Amino acid sequence: MLEELSLHILDIAMNSLAAGANRVAIAVVESQRHDFLILRVRDNGRGMDAGTLDRVLSRGITTKKSRRKNIGLGLALLRQSSEMCAGHFHMKSAPGQGTSVTASLRLSHVDRPPLGDLPATLLTLCAANPEVDIRLNYRTDTGRFDFSSQELTPKGKTNT
Amino acid sequence: MNLEQLKQLKAKAQQQVALREGNKKYRVVVSMGTSGIAAGARDVMKTMLDEIEKRGLDDVEVRVTGEHGLESIEPVMTVEEASGEKTTYAQLDAEKAKQIVTEHLQKGKKVDKLAVGKQKKTE
Repeated sequence: MLEELSLHILDIAMNSLAAGANRVAIAVVESQRHDFLILRVRDNGRGMDAGTLDRVLSRGITTKKSRRKNIGLGLALLRQSSEMCAGHFHMKSAPGQGTSVTASLRLSHVDRPPLGDLPATLLTLCAANPEVDIRLNYRTDTGRFDFSSQELTPKGKTNT
Repeated sequence: MNLEQLKQLKAKAQQQVALREGNKKYRVVVSMGTSGIAAGARDVMKTMLDEIEKRGLDDVEVRVTGEHGLESIEPVMTVEEASGEKTTYAQLDAEKAKQIVTEHLQKGKKVDKLAVGKQKKTE
């Protein structure tokens, strides 16, 4: 089980990278006022057709040797979490059009997993895939934070 | 989660970029598939990055990969030397990751008790 939502984000983003994406945009919207938490991971990878989309969402796929089984498992777990927490899970994809995964959860739900260490998820993705633009848009009722790994330049080198 | 924590993210990511240049002596590959993540691979990765940065090891490149088919011994990482020699470390945690940085990546001594399988040469 993945105990933090930020681990789910990492899991989904790894799928994006496996799909050859060079841009992965992560959005997290946390609203106390409206009592919801929305996670979205959108990529420009190769996408998938309707049949594959159905398959990755069904639970308990164990076609060993195929990497796809694990992709299906991770998504099924997130869908379960989101539906358990009075939210919705939605996935959109088409060949050549990338993939977008959206999960919402009720913020105050007792079973809602913590968001966890989101910076660690981002750093893992950035460090391991320097050529991919990893973006984060994080919004709350009172503020926002935007990040893009392609904005970083090697000029910070002087302090090492 | 708060915005302050996220602000540090930029600075940290920037420091990582700074270590990216230069010749690489070691290539570390951490398995980051669903089972790896569930077993704690992200924390292992985080510790590796922190320790590498703290020690300024700019001859180490850290990458991730998907599933290895090694679910039962996750988290797993492979350290590849420039010579092509590979060492696979398994059932890792933050403490063990730190040890691998200080011993293997910094001093060049393999951590035999954490390694699994036989040494492999590429090609």
